[in-house]
Amino acid sequence: MGDSHDSPDFLQYLIRLFYMVGGVLVAGTLITVLIDVLFAFPLPVAALIGLLIALVKAGFVVAVFMHYKWDKKLIMITWTMVLTFIFFAGMMGLIMWAEGDHPQVRENILYRDELSAFWIVAAALFGLALPVSFTVLTIKQLSQPAPVEAAAPSAKRAAKKTKR
Amino acid sequence: MEIPYTVKPRPDTGLYNAKLGIWLFLASEVMLFGALFSSYVLLRVGAVPGTWSMGLMDIMVGAGNTMVLIASSMFIVLAWAQLKQGNLAGYKKWKWATIACAVLFLVVKWSYEWPTKFKHYDIWLSSTVELHKKLEQGYHLVAEKHARESHQEGEDAGSHGGLAKHYVEEEIFTKRFFKEPSGDSHKAFDVAWEQGTLALSGHINSYEEAQINVRISGWKADAGVSEVDAEKTLARFGAGDPAKLRKQGGLLLEKTDYDTAKRVEYALGQAGFTLALGVAGYTEKTKEEEGAAWVWRTKRVAEDIGGQPRVRSIIVSLDHSHHHEIKVETKHIKRLSAFEPKHSTFFGIYYTITGLHAAHVFGGIIVMLYNMLPIGLSMWHKDRERFTNRIETFGLFWHFVDLVWIFLFPILYIL
Repeated sequence: MGDSHDSPDFLQYLIRLFYMVGGVLVAGTLITVLIDVLFAFPLPVAALIGLLIALVKAGFVVAVFMHYKWDKKLIMITWTMVLTFIFFAGMMGLIMWAEGDHPQVRENILYRDELSAFWIVAAALFGLALPVSFTVLTIKQLSQPAPVEAAAPSAKRAAKKTKR
Repeated sequence: MEIPYTVKPRPDTGLYNAKLGIWLFLASEVMLFGALFSSYVLLRVGAVPGTWSMGLMDIMVGAGNTMVLIASSMFIVLAWAQLKQGNLAGYKKWKWATIACAVLFLVVKWSYEWPTKFKHYDIWLSSTVELHKKLEQGYHLVAEKHARESHQEGEDAGSHGGLAKHYVEEEIFTKRFFKEPSGDSHKAFDVAWEQGTLALSGHINSYEEAQINVRISGWKADAGVSEVDAEKTLARFGAGDPAKLRKQGGLLLEKTDYDTAKRVEYALGQAGFTLALGVAGYTEKTKEEEGAAWVWRTKRVAEDIGGQPRVRSIIVSLDHSHHHEIKVETKHIKRLSAFEPKHSTFFGIYYTITGLHAAHVFGGIIVMLYNMLPIGLSMWHKDRERFTNRIETFGLFWHFVDLVWIFLFPILYIL
């Protein structure tokens, strides 16, 4: 949280928001259960609905409980989480690609569903995104001149030395 | 050394160091759980229809636990808001509520969700004929009742001969592996029924265990134990005439239980004796009795004692049969397993993921307690802002644990 958000009014607003998000999360859970109990969707649909509700709930937790809504200008957090997600998506992509490549026997002939090389390369690039981008970002960060405040203690020391 | 930027944001990152640290840690946690989630999805998608026990979870308990965790996630952020306002008493109130929710979550897991699974068994038989016979025995009463009731409602009751089979398919197999009947579920059930891969599923109420006769069949003088010592060992286990027993052999213990027999076999084996264990008879034991095994496994049940099994038969009350008990002979058992991790792929990954998540909750409880003790609170009296930030970073971790559960709940309980 930035310093500008420390005012008592803003805190009161936040607390109200926390209660509301708590209510939303409980409602989301109840909806998930109700859908499962009342309706008989086929597995892929049930999975999609369940995961979508989970995604919405997760969004609220990250945005409000984890203050991400007010932290999002902080580029470090954003980069970390976005790259992690891309890495994860890449890994899932590779897995799903491998899983989708089972040879199948239809009418005594062995078929192989050919996947275009594009998806393989895309998944691999996705998977590589995190380590590569982190390396690049770190190098960029290190090559920048040290920030003024961080350099302050050593500057003071240097000043003392010159006095002596 | 003073840790820099515990309160003020570092100019280049815009964050105080602990916050950046916890976000990086959370990123690594996303990797850890992400790997397990993708493994789960991979295994789930690759599972042969009719092998993934999706209908075994109690969704109400799961939903209750989800709400408990959501509440604790809300309480921790309220505790932080109280600290921001400089109210330590308010912080303590919300923090205790958070801890109480976390403990409740673990208690439900620890004393209800996992243990009930450890006491629930699947038994696979080696003979298809025997399997059909046992299912008919176990389910014919309840199947007839079920058919009569659905007949009253005007539904087709089916032919009389296949009532038990019909009931097993509808109420047990389909609900456990498919939830809803479909062409796939029908096909998978037919295969399981014909090939005998269907399991008898239920609780073991009692079993017939061997009473063992322990017989001395010989003594080796070159085992490095003197005659006197060997006879002393014999006397320790209640031999009337040790010298005679050692020289000529004979019955040492009659109708003793398995544990004693095994202990005697080991101790006397060390003293140079060769023993023959034989089954004198069988006695029925209920599972509550002392000495009853906590978890039965195939090897334990079928252990060979002088040519006969340690357990002759087990009495099982099958699921959804209104506690109707049937007797299953050990010689027909191919495999027996509780719903423990090695039962199947599903339970393997189920315990791995929920166990790792529970470990996170447990770790969180320890950190929260530390922050409530005087040693943790001393930070508040030294540096209020730093303590507030510490609670904020812990909150970030705690919300992540909640997030993991938000995704786990639909995946484990609904998929």
